Amino acid sequence: MHFAYPPRKSSTPPKFVPRSSTRLPLLRRSRAKVIALAGLALIFLVYLLTRTGGRRHTLARHTPSGKPPVVIVTVIDESHHYPTEYLDAVRENRIQYAEKHGYETFFPKIGNYDLNGAPFSWTKVVAMRHAMTKYPDATYIWFLDQDAFIMNPSLKVEEHVMKPARLEALMIKDHPVVPPDSIIKTFTHLKGKDVDFVLTQDKDGLSVGSFLVRNGEWAEFFLETWFDPIYRSYNFQKAETHAMEHIVQWHPTILSKLSIVPQNILNSYAKSEKGAEYTPGDLVVRFAECDKRSTLACAKDSKPFEQQWRTSFKNA
Amino acid sequence: MSLSRSPSPVPGGGWASPGLNINSSGRSSPVPGYSASNGTPVIWESARQKTMGAAGGYPSFSTHNQGFFTRHMRRLSSSLPRFSSSTHYAEKEKLGRGRWSGQNVPLLGRLKGIMARMGRKMKLRLLVVLLLLISIIIFFNTPLIYYWRRTSWLGGGQKYVIILAANVGGGVMEWKGAREWAIERDSVRNKKKYTNRWGYDLEVVDMSTKKRYAHEWRESWEKVDFVRAALRKYPKAEWIWWLDLNTFVMEPSYSLQSHIFNNLDKHIHRDINYFNPLNITHPFNEPYLDEASRSPVGDGDSSSVNLMLSQDCSGFNLGSFFIRRSAWTERLLDIWWDPVAYEQKHMEWEHKEQDALERLYIAQPWIRRHTAFLPQRMINSFPTGACSENGNDTNIHYDQKDRDFVVNMAGCEWGRDCWGEMYNFRELSYYLNRNPWERFKEDLVAVIWYKITGKKVKL
Repeated sequence: MHFAYPPRKSSTPPKFVPRSSTRLPLLRRSRAKVIALAGLALIFLVYLLTRTGGRRHTLARHTPSGKPPVVIVTVIDESHHYPTEYLDAVRENRIQYAEKHGYETFFPKIGNYDLNGAPFSWTKVVAMRHAMTKYPDATYIWFLDQDAFIMNPSLKVEEHVMKPARLEALMIKDHPVVPPDSIIKTFTHLKGKDVDFVLTQDKDGLSVGSFLVRNGEWAEFFLETWFDPIYRSYNFQKAETHAMEHIVQWHPTILSKLSIVPQNILNSYAKSEKGAEYTPGDLVVRFAECDKRSTLACAKDSKPFEQQWRTSFKNA
Repeated sequence: MSLSRSPSPVPGGGWASPGLNINSSGRSSPVPGYSASNGTPVIWESARQKTMGAAGGYPSFSTHNQGFFTRHMRRLSSSLPRFSSSTHYAEKEKLGRGRWSGQNVPLLGRLKGIMARMGRKMKLRLLVVLLLLISIIIFFNTPLIYYWRRTSWLGGGQKYVIILAANVGGGVMEWKGAREWAIERDSVRNKKKYTNRWGYDLEVVDMSTKKRYAHEWRESWEKVDFVRAALRKYPKAEWIWWLDLNTFVMEPSYSLQSHIFNNLDKHIHRDINYFNPLNITHPFNEPYLDEASRSPVGDGDSSSVNLMLSQDCSGFNLGSFFIRRSAWTERLLDIWWDPVAYEQKHMEWEHKEQDALERLYIAQPWIRRHTAFLPQRMINSFPTGACSENGNDTNIHYDQKDRDFVVNMAGCEWGRDCWGEMYNFRELSYYLNRNPWERFKEDLVAVIWYKITGKKVKL
């Protein structure tokens, strides 16, 4: 009986058999498993993180792009018979200055807005709010009263006043908000970039004849709060000026954004009885409270300065 | 040609040794087969067949997977009943021959046996399942779940802080009686349970009348200070939920996230005109305001909502409201109390800070833009006693069929029974949130028992 022997094994067996395909497989079975597991873990992690993290938003308000950098707002009073040439000179002064630096001007008139019977001087507050709506991309909004001229065309607002380093040098710290002895004082450690509201003090207190506001969420809050009907109906002696003194002293969210700068920076006066007197080179001259005497007094006060700004604008 | 053995004929004709087939007899055709390694062209029939069967063109003498039995041998044999070899022979005789031994092996031994017979792969799988089960049990029975729900990037409970106003008017105006203490105890316990369950923070604040506020005519504006203090104390908090003392969380199983915040867009109303008991003119139409301020829904993005409250039959209700950490909130808290406004309005302001907020909402576009309203029954259902002039209102009053989240016994201290209402709602909440076992006992067993014996039982 014969049984078949298994075939004899070669004494020199081939060490390795060449692969059927010469390419090395990238994805082996074992590796595929690991990749699948890692993928699952990754998906789970992403799910965990996106579930809660996805809802994190900051307030999505339009950020001003800086075109124009500054809007100059002047409320023009055409209802109290100021000489036309005076008002034209005021307008022209702003327009020429704005053209030189790429700014915009905005001249609303008294009576444009419904004030609910409050004094006309409140118009400046709502006009500022209107300017924010009209120029959402402006970085700064500068209110300059009608009784003022811009005298130095070479100064740019964003560098002369608002540049953080410059502002930190200028701001008057730890100073009573309402002189001489208010216990509420301006902040001592305020960074220039955090300032949203720049104004000056004259001898009577805070002056709202010329002030700067940085366009943004805070400015909306500030201007709308200032314009609150409850302040308009309260009969503050100096209307919006006193309303502002009130909110600045009672509400730290406003005080913490405010900086008081020397009057010469943006609010020099023609006469020294009320505040710092104008010196050549100052940005602005104001004939403050000329309207208390008469409408013609303003025109008369402005005459000498009109000559000056016209020549300096021509030369610049 | 050399043969290792004498050739034998195969039944079909021809020879088993290939070398002998000279003619093509049909049995063994010239095979292209395998010739590589052993250097001889001779192929035995049996080897050839194996070669054809094995994969890859290599010879295989594998004994695996040969047939059904070889493949399933282990499984079959292990599932067969076995005689126990451990039991004593004589005993076995006594108990009866051939009896399956499974029954008298102790449990541990049986388990050991199962484990021994189990394949390695199966063991691994079982281990994974077991581990999963254990981790689930550990997760739900230890504080782990609390920390999970609390962590800001997992459950997010840290983002919510509940402020509970306790001790209203206590200390000065009147002595607290037993009922007042009971109300306070129940209310605090209810919120404590709720916050512990979901990993929120609870801040119980003392609203007792204080000299500080009395002097400044600022009673009831303490809310502002407490919200501010809570924002400072819990730096990770995003939303503050203010709750009055006379409130009760009826459904502790609702998390704030699933109830409100995950679908904020769907729940909130930015436009007050959906329910406007105060007849507030909305939106603003002043031409000097921007688009978002003149739109009835603000910017329409739910992420800009910073204050959420509900309105009852007479306007804003601050018994239960949400406020979010933001610059806007700081401004609101700052402006909320203003001496000039107070001087002019305090005679009309019956509800003090609530009326002050209404006034701000009416006057200020920047406040309206970030305020939203929630349906009252979502966060602030009333019992039938409150706002009852026009009978039951489905927008205002609690309905247990809908399982309302929170009930606020507003105004119960004026002529209603605070403690009675609190007690009833507490019991109702327990009743509605019984676990399945309690339901089985009370809704089925007790009822059947009652039908059979006519006696009520408490199980």
